[in-house]
Amino acid sequence: MRALLLTALWSHLASSVLLVGAFFMLLLAGPPRATTARRWDGTVVAGARLLVLVALGSGIVWLLVRTAVFENRPHAALEPRAVWHAVLDTWPGLVWLARHGLLVVLAAFLAIRANVADSRNWIAARGEALVLAMLALALVSGSSHAAAITPGTLSAVAVDVAHLLGTGVWLGGLVALAPLLRAASREAGADARPYAVLAARRFSRAALIAMLLLMASGVMNALAQVESIAGLAGTTHGRLLLAKLAVLAPILVLAAVNRTRILPALSAPDATVGRSAMRRLTAFVGLEAVLALVLLALAAAMTLTTPARHGEPVWPLPFRLSPDVLRDVPATRWRALLGSQLAIAGVVALIASLVVRRRRAPVLAGALALVAVGAGVGLPPLVVDAYPTTYKRPLVTYHAGSIASGMATYREHCAACHGATGAGDGRPLPDLRSAPTSRRHAGELFWLVSRGGPGHGMPAFEGRLSEAQRWHVINFIRALGAAEGSKTIGRQVELDRAWLIAPDFTVAVGPLAPGALRDHRGRRLVLLVLYTLPDSRARMTELARSYDVLSVIGVEIVAVPTHASPEAIAELGASPPVLFPIVTDGNADIVETYRMFAPGPHAELLIDRQGYIRAIWRGETGRMPQASAVQAQVEKLNEEKSPPPFPDDHVH
Amino acid sequence: MPVWQVALVLNLTFAVGLGLGYAGWGRRAEALDREFDAARAQVERLERERAACAPGGRAGEQQWEGRGVVRAVYPRLLIITHEEIRGLLPARTTSFRPASPTLPGTIRVGDPIRFSLRGTLADDAAVVAIERW
Repeated sequence: MRALLLTALWSHLASSVLLVGAFFMLLLAGPPRATTARRWDGTVVAGARLLVLVALGSGIVWLLVRTAVFENRPHAALEPRAVWHAVLDTWPGLVWLARHGLLVVLAAFLAIRANVADSRNWIAARGEALVLAMLALALVSGSSHAAAITPGTLSAVAVDVAHLLGTGVWLGGLVALAPLLRAASREAGADARPYAVLAARRFSRAALIAMLLLMASGVMNALAQVESIAGLAGTTHGRLLLAKLAVLAPILVLAAVNRTRILPALSAPDATVGRSAMRRLTAFVGLEAVLALVLLALAAAMTLTTPARHGEPVWPLPFRLSPDVLRDVPATRWRALLGSQLAIAGVVALIASLVVRRRRAPVLAGALALVAVGAGVGLPPLVVDAYPTTYKRPLVTYHAGSIASGMATYREHCAACHGATGAGDGRPLPDLRSAPTSRRHAGELFWLVSRGGPGHGMPAFEGRLSEAQRWHVINFIRALGAAEGSKTIGRQVELDRAWLIAPDFTVAVGPLAPGALRDHRGRRLVLLVLYTLPDSRARMTELARSYDVLSVIGVEIVAVPTHASPEAIAELGASPPVLFPIVTDGNADIVETYRMFAPGPHAELLIDRQGYIRAIWRGETGRMPQASAVQAQVEKLNEEKSPPPFPDDHVH
Repeated sequence: MPVWQVALVLNLTFAVGLGLGYAGWGRRAEALDREFDAARAQVERLERERAACAPGGRAGEQQWEGRGVVRAVYPRLLIITHEEIRGLLPARTTSFRPASPTLPGTIRVGDPIRFSLRGTLADDAAVVAIERW
């Protein structure tokens, strides 16, 4: 079924692209005067009539197969009601209807055997066909992956339309140009040779612009759909894109040879030389067109796969490059610096080799050697181990509930070797709190926890812990590292230094519908207060009195009693009234998690609007700040010029 | 008819068709959406007015139902952390006037409650009924 869908899609896409190119090429070449040229014009129009029928037929097959796939029943393809539903009740169906309506109009228009001897009529006929073909092709973007991008749907669709039309102009034009060059290269077609040379020159210029447009829109599409190197190398969608680039490389070489070598030879004074060059150009253009059709098959396959940004990357290599090594092993910095400088010098020499006319070959060879030596010197220090799950997305979010659950699992299964604090307790094991461990991808930790480290005696937990439990442990390990780093965060906010992500938690007040810490993101700062009665009573009274002022300057106080009690609100008393949220459920998870950052019976943490912990008051209530001191820190945050981006909900 | 005229008529047909299609269906669909939202808001308002048609109700009064946790109790003021009160307020902590000073009864700070509000706007809505949840 999938092969049939791919074949139908490829046929449809190819015929739609060729239609655009055929009429673009005719208009580019201009009204034909010579007999051979008129014959070529007729051949292209006859071919276009066939292509419209292929586009309509393959479009119908595509719709039927897609209906069967959507309904998950092969018979649905033959049920009028199911097909009707797929066409009228879905967005891709409506786009299909609009496109095929245009193709039917184009077929009817091409079926008219009108007299186009007059230039004005010829241009109108070919121009109208081009407009209809371009509209039908551009509408493909309306139901493509680009249409699913939010926000920025309009710009993504516009880029995709540019990519499609660029393909139509370039590939379709190539296929239409080839028969003209073939006819003109024959003895019998000598009358069309000047017309063919002019057409080839004009097409060369147009194709250059189309190729630049294709590359620019292709890069933008890749940035939107693939997003990362992991997506490029680790997903089917990304690998198809790499295959497309691999096919594009020889196409570009052929195009460059055509443009720089063969096209100038066409104007040689000797008619025989020009003819032989034209034959070579015919062969090269034909080869380029075949490769381009392969490219189109890969593009069709890409539209049937999940975009890389939504896929689960499976990293194919046993290593990856990590600039973090430079921070962890300072001795490697000089080598990396030297390598990078050599590579930059190589790139500069490479650009120079394209510009200089004399001694180009030795300059090019030297440039490539410099790049190779630079890579050889600079890259090896950056190599770190990688695993298939290196870029796997965590199953659970960085949440206090997950961290607390991971803490319990860690104590049961991991603490015996790694120690209660993760420091290894004298064993030659990596310190789980250290910066190098914190910088490892979560997916790498997932692999090590799941598969173990055979060389280090680390057992595999794949069969002993569920996937969610393993992710909870990884969230806990991340929190261990964050807690170690949080020791540098004190009572004063350091401007433009937001890095400590506040784990999310559920704010449950009585039986009301619960909220979450992240609900405040982008809106209010949060003063998280972990308190213990009766010692914290005086501080809670002070906070209750200053709540109005703090609220006005954009702070919400969320108070979490260290001992969970449904009576927590009543225990704080009625006077003065405590009006900020008091968490009455799920306290244990919040307290266990946040005590990693701020131990003690009473602690206060100031969380900015982006969701980062920016100041911590630890310890006894007597050491807690006055309301005015909190206000001063809040005002500093309110004046921060460039707030950091919102942290991801998952660890990386 | 010359081909250029055929092409011109065809393009004009497309343009007019698109324009009429948008004018006939696109704008109508938008207007229907707006009418639907207005009608739904009107129905909700009428339902609240009907609920408020108890003895002593005034013209234009509506009644809203809410759930919350009592945060402070005064003879002429109740402060409640409540869930969204549909058609009146989002989830937040709000002070409300009890319809009578004796209404809070045995309600204490920290009690989860269900309550009814009656009035014409959020500003003059008073708590007319309250019970533990």
